[in-house]
Amino acid sequence: MFKEELLTTIRTEKRNTLTEVEAKRWLQEAGIVKVVETVEAKSKKEAIEVSKKLGFPVVLKVLSPDISHKSDVGGVKVGLKTASQVASAYAEIMSSVKQKQPAARISGVTIQQMARPGIEVIMGMSKDPQFGPVLMFGLGGVFVEVLKDVSFRIVPLVRRDASEMISEIKGFPILKGYRGQEPANIPLLENTLLKLSEFVDANPEIKELDLNPVFAYKDDAVAVDARIIMEAAGSPSQS
Amino acid sequence: MSPDINKLKRAFDPATVVVVGDKQQNHFMWLKALRDFKGKLYSVQIDPKEIAEIEKLGFTNYLTLDQVPGPVDYVVVAVPRQVSPRIIADCIRKDVAGVALFTSGFAETSTPEGIKLQDTLKEMALKSNLNLIGPNCMGLYNRKLNLRHSVTQPGGNPGDAGFISQSGTHATFMSEEGEMHGVKVAKSASYGNAIVLDSVDFLEMMAADDEIKIIGMYIEGVREGKRFFRSLKNITPRKPVVIWKAGLTADGSRAAASHTASLAESPLIWESLFRQTGAISVGSRTELIDIMKTLLYVKPITGTRAGLIAMSGGQSVVFSESFARAGLKVPRLTSSSYDAFSSFFNIIGGSYQNPLDVSWNLPSVEVMIRMLDILASDSNLDMIALEVSPFFQAKMWEDHPDFFDEMSRALLQFRNRCPKPFFLVIIPGPRELTALDIRNKFRDIGLPSFFSFESAALALRKVADYYRFSAGHVEVKQ
Repeated sequence: MFKEELLTTIRTEKRNTLTEVEAKRWLQEAGIVKVVETVEAKSKKEAIEVSKKLGFPVVLKVLSPDISHKSDVGGVKVGLKTASQVASAYAEIMSSVKQKQPAARISGVTIQQMARPGIEVIMGMSKDPQFGPVLMFGLGGVFVEVLKDVSFRIVPLVRRDASEMISEIKGFPILKGYRGQEPANIPLLENTLLKLSEFVDANPEIKELDLNPVFAYKDDAVAVDARIIMEAAGSPSQS
Repeated sequence: MSPDINKLKRAFDPATVVVVGDKQQNHFMWLKALRDFKGKLYSVQIDPKEIAEIEKLGFTNYLTLDQVPGPVDYVVVAVPRQVSPRIIADCIRKDVAGVALFTSGFAETSTPEGIKLQDTLKEMALKSNLNLIGPNCMGLYNRKLNLRHSVTQPGGNPGDAGFISQSGTHATFMSEEGEMHGVKVAKSASYGNAIVLDSVDFLEMMAADDEIKIIGMYIEGVREGKRFFRSLKNITPRKPVVIWKAGLTADGSRAAASHTASLAESPLIWESLFRQTGAISVGSRTELIDIMKTLLYVKPITGTRAGLIAMSGGQSVVFSESFARAGLKVPRLTSSSYDAFSSFFNIIGGSYQNPLDVSWNLPSVEVMIRMLDILASDSNLDMIALEVSPFFQAKMWEDHPDFFDEMSRALLQFRNRCPKPFFLVIIPGPRELTALDIRNKFRDIGLPSFFSFESAALALRKVADYYRFSAGHVEVKQ
């Protein structure tokens, strides 16, 4: 199975953080959430080829097992419309990351097509020392970073929990469609939270999980970025 | 781990109890507390001087637990901490059903020797499946059997509430203070450092105990959070659980660490836990008692619209405002209620809008009941509350105590026939002693009251939320 292969790979490579490609593939195969297809490129040349194949505009992100907050080190470039923009973005990412985190191992970049704009939401899981996995939900960007407008629920969730954790955030009116903006598909977001709850309950080896952001549309929801950190091998909190 | 539940039940319902290490310096507090225990009680002590005093008090003493005749169901250990492993070894050999370690000085001291000693006890108990309660606790209370921590606790008759407390003080207070309010604690467990048995073990046991109708808890920290969460979720729809969680502020958490070696816990997680499990969250013993009183004596609350009767205009305003602030409603009555009131309501300066202001000069008990009956059949209302004012009625209480006999009988009959939740608010104001007398009179016939509009409103709101939550409950897998 994919999970077993994945566990073998990361143990062999002595790392606990999954790459974005691994994390997205796992979530997609488990049927948790739709993801934006992400492809790795090891060189500038390869990055341009992949971008052309995926179709512009694209997003470039640094690919490194040591970096989890990619934008903090200048490792993300968005809205690249041409091959030459991709080429210079690649160079800028490499020099910025080398300067800001010299010790990080860099294997290249990941490339994905720019997703069509939607309402940015985040979903995450972290573990409480007493109560185990806890899910978090909020609106992305300033809502989570400045206003801390997020809600929490202990796993396992029932539908009432999923529904309440969405409706209790202050930004809820935005999800319902604010001033003519397209609303989000709220039942779909509830389902995603419920599936996520089952997923982390069934996979205690996961230590942390972040879908940040998920673009929520009227008819769909797509994870643009995904991050999964596994428990260290032999950690007691796996069970 | 899950404990041997049948053994734990036997420890809670013991035929033979032994106190190990009670001494003069402690005024023989354990033997004295247990002197009316309805079963066999023995002492184990090796100090000849202490033995002489114990025998003078009329207790039978043995030199070791082994020498106590027959099976032993429950043991209270009050020996110095360094002796405790030897006594625990004796308990294991004797195969006792449960043992409470009153002895303290373990992990809560944060000293290497305290922590090491606690680990030793834990390992011994787990290896032999011993139901160890504590250390640093008061252990088990069973009202019916006079299994007590103090002779001042109620005893000898059944109760209807269970209480699980990480603190011995709160356990003892709860049984005595609850009694003042009509909340009769049937069984309680004080479990201190929780090295073997934790809150969830007692919770599951009390959930299966038919004598116990509602469960209260005082918790500083939980160890098996996942089991606690899932158990609670399945218990609350059948049996209400009210939790007083302490240690959610930095200073409170530090105090809890040195009291029972509890770990810091997140307020956000506990807030989620309450929302997900339907357990009712309270912040004080007073509030705990208010909620338990509501659950025991007020009919299930199916809505938030209240009909209020106050004894003055000023009171009627703050009565309404307290309810509105708590998220309850004080709606207008139906037109048929207004018609009914207009046919006889002639109190000068009064009002029969909701809230009703019936003035301090209430004409008669008959009129009071007539008004209550109108509210009882008003379809705009889900609950009814009546203020009885010691301030306005102090003179009546002194000169015509029979008026209160008549009133309490009539109110009890009304409560029993009224399909809606009904309760009293008796605010002492400057008449503490009169208030206490009136309150006790009502309590003794099964009509406990609230002491303020605010506390009544808050309790009613929380209990209303509980009933609404339970109605939409979904069973979770263990």
